[in-house]
Amino acid sequence: MDRLEDEYKDTVEFRLVNVEKDPSGSALMQQFGAQYVPTFVFVNTDGSTAGQVVGAVEESALRERLDSLE
Amino acid sequence: MKNSKMIIWALGALVVVAIAFLVMRPAGGVKEVDAAELQDLLGQGVRVIDVRTAGEYATSHIPGAENVPINTLESVVESWDRSQPIAVYCAVGDRSASAVEYLTAAGFSTIYHMSEGMVAWTGEVEQGTAVAAAPESVETAGMPVMYEFFTDW
Repeated sequence: MDRLEDEYKDTVEFRLVNVEKDPSGSALMQQFGAQYVPTFVFVNTDGSTAGQVVGAVEESALRERLDSLE
Repeated sequence: MKNSKMIIWALGALVVVAIAFLVMRPAGGVKEVDAAELQDLLGQGVRVIDVRTAGEYATSHIPGAENVPINTLESVVESWDRSQPIAVYCAVGDRSASAVEYLTAAGFSTIYHMSEGMVAWTGEVEQGTAVAAAPESVETAGMPVMYEFFTDW
């Protein structure tokens, strides 16, 4: 994840939320309808949600999602 | 001749150790269960523990399950009856595996582990609190955002 974050640092903002330590983060997770951890939620520049992925996923799958963000 | 005697003694010692282990280990032990088996256990009145976060539990949980987040388990089990069967689950099986290890070491004699986790649950679910509407728009800083919601476990 660190490597991905570094690679995409100029194009995508990574917001890592530890739901056990951050009550507001836990609430945000509920707002997105996410039930399990880890869940990755993708958001376009205009603030619209562009989908989510649940569970440990292949880096290639995350890259595909990240590259498709507007 | 000496070597074969040593081998026989070693095998004998191994057998004794194995028997001692089998005799001394707690009755019941840890049993892996699937969703259908956990449903049966619920019907039998077995205590079911959800070791996910309060937020995950509130979003969706197995009816009748008690929420004891994994990081609070140690502080609450002291008062529990270790002879009573107990079932444990989490989201995908990682945190519950840690809980099972802890409960075993703490002396619980019969532990059921739904190792596939909540993702494999096929029965009805309950929600602890109402889920807020998804945010219409997320504030961004001029670029797309990826959230990763995670726990330390």
